[in-house]
Amino acid sequence: MSDTYRETVRHLPVTHPGEADHRSPARFLLWTARGQWLTLLGGMAFGVTWMIAQALTPALIGRAIDQGVAGGDLDALGRTALWMLLLGSVQAVSAIMRHRFAVTNWLIAAYRTVQLVVRHVVRVGVELPRRMPTGEVVTIATADMAQIGRVMDVVPRFTGSVVSFVVVAVIVLGTSVPLGLLVLVGVPVLTATIGPLLHPLQRRAGRVRGLAAELSTMATDIVAGLRVLRGLGGESLFAARYHRASQRVRRAGVRLAEVASLTDALQVLLPGVFVVVVVWAGARAAVAGRLSPGELVAFYGYTAFLTIPLRTVTEFADKLVRALVSARRICHLLALGPPVTSADRDSFSENRFDVAGLATADLTDDRSGVRARAGRLTAVVPADPDAGTHLADRLSLLGTAPGEDVQLGGVPLCTLSRTALRRTVVLCDPDSMLFAGQVADVLDVRQRATEGDLRQALHVAAALDIVDSLPDGLAAPVDERGRTFSGGQRQRLALARAVLADPPVLVLVEPTCAVDAHTEARIARRLHAHRQGRTTVVVTTSPLILEVADEVAFLEGGRVVAVGRHEELLMSSAAYHAVVDRSVGENAGEQSGQHGGHPSDAADRPIGEGAA
Amino acid sequence: MRAAATGAAPRDGGGLPVADTPDVRRYAAQLARRHPRALWGGVGLHLAAAAAALAAPRLLGDLVQAVQDGTTAAHVDRVMPVLAGFLLLQAILTRYAHLASQVFGEGMLAELREDFVDSVLALPIAVVESGGSGDLLTRTSRDVDQLGWTARWAVPQAIVAGVRALAVLAAALWAGWWVALAILPVVPVVAWRARVYLARAGQGYLRTAVAYSRITATVAETAEGARTVESLDLGPARVARIDADCARSFAAERYTLGLRTRFFPVVEFSYVVPAIGTLVVGGILAQRGSVSLADVTAATLYVQMLVDPVDRLIILLDELQAAQASLARLLGVAQVGDDREVSGAVPDGEQLEAHDVHFAYVPGRDVLRGVSLDVAAGERIAVVGPSGAGKSTLGRLLAGIHSPRAGSVRLGGVSLSELPLDVLRSRVALVTQEHHVFAGTLRDNLALASGARSSDARILEALSSVDADDWVSGLPDGLDTRVGSGARRLTPPQAQQVALARLVLADPHTLVLDEATSLLDPRAARHLERSLAAVLRGRTVIAIAHRLFSAHDADRVAVMEDGVICELGPHADLVAADGAYAQLWRSWHGRDRDHFSAPPSAPPSAPPSPPPQPGPGVAASGPVPEDRA
Repeated sequence: MSDTYRETVRHLPVTHPGEADHRSPARFLLWTARGQWLTLLGGMAFGVTWMIAQALTPALIGRAIDQGVAGGDLDALGRTALWMLLLGSVQAVSAIMRHRFAVTNWLIAAYRTVQLVVRHVVRVGVELPRRMPTGEVVTIATADMAQIGRVMDVVPRFTGSVVSFVVVAVIVLGTSVPLGLLVLVGVPVLTATIGPLLHPLQRRAGRVRGLAAELSTMATDIVAGLRVLRGLGGESLFAARYHRASQRVRRAGVRLAEVASLTDALQVLLPGVFVVVVVWAGARAAVAGRLSPGELVAFYGYTAFLTIPLRTVTEFADKLVRALVSARRICHLLALGPPVTSADRDSFSENRFDVAGLATADLTDDRSGVRARAGRLTAVVPADPDAGTHLADRLSLLGTAPGEDVQLGGVPLCTLSRTALRRTVVLCDPDSMLFAGQVADVLDVRQRATEGDLRQALHVAAALDIVDSLPDGLAAPVDERGRTFSGGQRQRLALARAVLADPPVLVLVEPTCAVDAHTEARIARRLHAHRQGRTTVVVTTSPLILEVADEVAFLEGGRVVAVGRHEELLMSSAAYHAVVDRSVGENAGEQSGQHGGHPSDAADRPIGEGAA
Repeated sequence: MRAAATGAAPRDGGGLPVADTPDVRRYAAQLARRHPRALWGGVGLHLAAAAAALAAPRLLGDLVQAVQDGTTAAHVDRVMPVLAGFLLLQAILTRYAHLASQVFGEGMLAELREDFVDSVLALPIAVVESGGSGDLLTRTSRDVDQLGWTARWAVPQAIVAGVRALAVLAAALWAGWWVALAILPVVPVVAWRARVYLARAGQGYLRTAVAYSRITATVAETAEGARTVESLDLGPARVARIDADCARSFAAERYTLGLRTRFFPVVEFSYVVPAIGTLVVGGILAQRGSVSLADVTAATLYVQMLVDPVDRLIILLDELQAAQASLARLLGVAQVGDDREVSGAVPDGEQLEAHDVHFAYVPGRDVLRGVSLDVAAGERIAVVGPSGAGKSTLGRLLAGIHSPRAGSVRLGGVSLSELPLDVLRSRVALVTQEHHVFAGTLRDNLALASGARSSDARILEALSSVDADDWVSGLPDGLDTRVGSGARRLTPPQAQQVALARLVLADPHTLVLDEATSLLDPRAARHLERSLAAVLRGRTVIAIAHRLFSAHDADRVAVMEDGVICELGPHADLVAADGAYAQLWRSWHGRDRDHFSAPPSAPPSAPPSPPPQPGPGVAASGPVPEDRA
């Protein structure tokens, strides 16, 4: 096996996928091909050898028939047989080598595509979901990466096909000019005829695939909601609906088969007609003595062989078209620039920012008037929950238009480099996602924690019980999006992760909204103790957290209207009291009505009495 | 508690059974027999098409002989139309043969997936509830897709290739028995290599598939969690992960590539040997005059024709093997035994009693350690306590989803596990915070169980009882609005309201609500629980809640810790007793211990059961007891 091949294979995936040329789909494909030209070339070399070995086989068979069978020369037959054996060995070796190169080409292109995509998604950052549906990104990682891989896989075979076609044409021309011309003209004509025949079929097949995908979504939906169906009933309803959809897919498949089978028949008929025409002409030439019997057999063999390059050319055209469609989607993603502000930030010199001074710097927001004192735990109570979310986004510069309002020790956060900013301020809100991996890796985002640190952070988030109940503890796997955990468990693990990151400024939004009161109380106290000396901002209305906060800011209409300790504010501000007091009184609904934003807003009818 | 359940659920296919090979074969045969006409019609047509294709080598062989013996162009002009005729016949037969086998494939596939979904919908409720849905999801997507591909493509192809290989082999042997001498030697070699390859290929390809789903998952997570990635500066980690995923995928690919590297050349070489053998043996026999040039030519061409179908069959072996594994997993779902021991006993009343209940997800690790709780018909019980205390597990046992390891849970004197599922759920229902909105109309989502019995008026009434009427009335098509995946996405609080409205429509006598309002903001949740209470008046409600107002509103509160109920009684009594619950309540309620009197704006109607003054020790010891761990 060639060294080139080994070299490449050892280094997959590539360390740096490079900067793609995404000006157009075609340029992207060319860029991809350039990046793997050596393996493409290797593939082509073996592809050509493999195809030529196949193309030459009929010639040897013809010779064997002429010399050995018709001529009775057993020595000559033996020699030809040895040649055939040699050719067979070349074919077998070049076949597997071609295959190995094809797989490698597929993989290089596919991995590189997905590596590029993830790198770019990370660069675009928080803006991504606002600018491209995430479903499209996932499509790139599944369908499109395969399409790019496939076109790289077919290129060497395509080259082999073209070369072997020329070789066969030359051989035939050498024996008979009219027959050679017939081959030279006939094969391209056939290719041009069969290609378009397949297009309507592919469109129909696409529609059937669409229907089948819908059916598959339906089945997944049933499984996802199985608890509901088995818990409350409705199985027969869903079974009947699934059966109907399944039968629709079956009927569509049968309708497709009616067209597809016609195409199948044409793929037998058209090359067959070509074979008949060539053999007919060949047989007349043989009768006239211009062709030997063995050569006639060889001609039949050539025409039968030519269906392979014919198919490959059609396949190449088809895969190229699909790859261009995929490349368009990839280019669209790669064209999304990083957020405007962070482009400026990336060039910022970090020296302006004294990391050691963070402990003594207050975090301030001019727009809301919030001041989070250095090293303390500040709670922000928003009268309107949305205002709280917006504030947290602004403080951590995750909102749509970060401005200079948010400052740390007088330095606007938006002037920090992206890395410096994210190492300084960390946000954890109910939307925070857990990623798949081992528990320890999932939690330790800075990759520097000891097991003691990990357990400490889990203790703060009251999440030790979750990890301890896993069979492998910290080494246990977390599924995609942490979906095997309940909502409350995910929330506590996400909090542990943020605590473990140990940023100078930690911004939390309702960090305990999905956990029970007992646990909430524990978390509040432990969080306060653990974050001593570092700045913490908690947006919440939970009295259990407010009680431990060093300072509480009350936000109304997006501005701070009162600051103090929880118990002071309870006494001094009626509005504050109304927001945080989980009163058992009758007008709970009316109280919430004035703040807006949740389902009970329009509650103007009498409220049912509690059973208490 | 869910962690315990998750931990207990075996991973990677260990959760649900997998059917054994004889079962799979029996099922496949039975499935095939349901469509005898399509199957045998298809096979017959393929056989006819293959037979038509056999004409060409024969005619060519005779032609070569004729040329050798000396013939005229007129003879050629007579033979070639015959060849063209057979070609046309082959094309026509191919059309109908393909159609028939596609129809067969589609029909088989449809029944197979319908059977599967039926068995999914019949899974025992304990299996459904104890996690492991990942395994089921994989079976539903990957295995059904695999079989779709197999039934549409691999099975018809295998039929074509098999029939053609047999027909060509027969024709070759008919041209001369001696052809067998050229073919037979390679058969054991190919068979041996194929066995070696297939023994490893299944696992190998499964690993590549798993590696690809990891890549997909990483990309999906990175895109959907863009905010989290940005906030925690996880960019480099995500990049490292996708590179690691690619490396893992590559390792899996390299393994299967290695398998093929050891298998394919042997096969490829085996294709050359019979052709050479036929020519050599034919040449020797021809020299002796025992066979004709026509026979040798035809035999050689037949042997060459054999390569294509045999090659296809070998490639299909992988596919068919994977399909068999997939089918085994799909059939396994139907083999899950029901754990209910229906006795036919009819509950006498709605009194729900748990007596000295012990329960463990993992043997030896009891999550409940002797819980007893009698719930009177129409009573409202709130269960509170720290996470991991066993609240949700108790809820599941009270809803009859799991049976206790020791002790009993009875409804009207009958053990819950003795009730048939439809009877059980008409009496007891469980709603958890894990909600699901089905793809379909809002009406479909609500009517589920009650089906046609639910008029629009009833549905709207149910929606209004969960405070959902305002956003529902704002929907463009009202109850006909399409929701769920691929359509309008409901927010988590809305989805939770839908789940509760379903419950109202299903109308069971006893309800277990496990954090059923946790996704709503506290104020909305409070309001919802009150409206719900009005609708559920007279029903038995066991509410597991982390918001203490649910406890305040309940008839009795059960405080759980470490798998036992440590405090039980009406809210006022527990507050008066001044235990752990009382301390928590005071903190949670947002009233400072030193300023207990109501602030100026406090609602006029004070709490119905004012807690007594805290004891002297409370202020010093902090608001809540520190955990014992």
